[in-house]
Amino acid sequence: MLNGKENRSVPRATLDSVGRDIIRASADNDREAAAAAQSPFLFSRLRTRINAERERRAEDENWITTLRILWRAIPSMALVAVFAFLLFLSTGTQTSTSLSDTALLGERGTGVERVVLTDQTAISNEDVLATIMSEDGEASK
Amino acid sequence: MADNSDPATFQTQSLSSAEPADSVLVGRTRTGDEDAFEELFNRHRRRVALIASRFFRQREQIEEIIQESFTKAFFALADFSNQQEQSFAAWLARIAFNTCYDELRRRKRRPESSLSEVTEEEAAWLQERLSSGEKDIESAAIERELAAKLLAHLSPEDRYVLVMLDVEGLSVAEIAGLTKWSAAKVKVRAHRARGRLRNLLKRFM
Repeated sequence: MLNGKENRSVPRATLDSVGRDIIRASADNDREAAAAAQSPFLFSRLRTRINAERERRAEDENWITTLRILWRAIPSMALVAVFAFLLFLSTGTQTSTSLSDTALLGERGTGVERVVLTDQTAISNEDVLATIMSEDGEASK
Repeated sequence: MADNSDPATFQTQSLSSAEPADSVLVGRTRTGDEDAFEELFNRHRRRVALIASRFFRQREQIEEIIQESFTKAFFALADFSNQQEQSFAAWLARIAFNTCYDELRRRKRRPESSLSEVTEEEAAWLQERLSSGEKDIESAAIERELAAKLLAHLSPEDRYVLVMLDVEGLSVAEIAGLTKWSAAKVKVRAHRARGRLRNLLKRFM
């Protein structure tokens, strides 16, 4: 059977036949196969390889376990964060209506807190003057 | 050439009645008995080497395939226990074929695989062979060298299918079973592979 379009001189069957011979020739390697199969220490090398592969798989397993823990921990932590945020929001709204600075900071606060409280309870000079003026005014009446 | 055509019945070392069967050795290997695995290795390494030699010429490459195949088999023994309908030998052969295929694909990615050149002597021999159609037995060495160079230009899939068909003598169904490809895909792949090989040969006319 000639394939005139592609090649005018070589029949397709010949090309296929030569192709098969070439494939078989490339695979005709029994002597090397026998030599490889009888190679010394082949099983020792195989055992070493298996042990190395076993260690590698154990390391991979550790990583997978860590990732699995993280996979479970992240949603739990996210849930806790959401709860904490919601609690903060609800506490914040209550604070603005019912709690004073004194209640929030406590009676025995640090120096800074004391300054805040002192500023809040101290009588200013204007207050003193206004009181004196009003008392004087009442006395003159 | 296709002496070991059926992967389920390929040659293994003959067993005497006193020797345990492969399935027994597999069971013992799974319980941690390394001697049992060594026995399995000794029984089947020649066949694995023969499979590797269909695709690779150098002894080091064949040894590499033997080790890789048995390593894969060792870690997949649990899977084998669920497939008792086939023999250990056939199961191991499939692992060996797939290992060869993986190695062919890995090597194809390297640029040096395509650098092999056909010499003038080899080209002349091929022209003579194509024109006369007769096979010269004395020039088998040239044919082997030439075959290696020509097949380096084929894709791993093409080479894999052609070796399975022409050397191992497997049927399309058997190749499909080994490769997990569909029968239609095997047929198409074989058809294209033969076409590419023809085109390669025509370059020398």
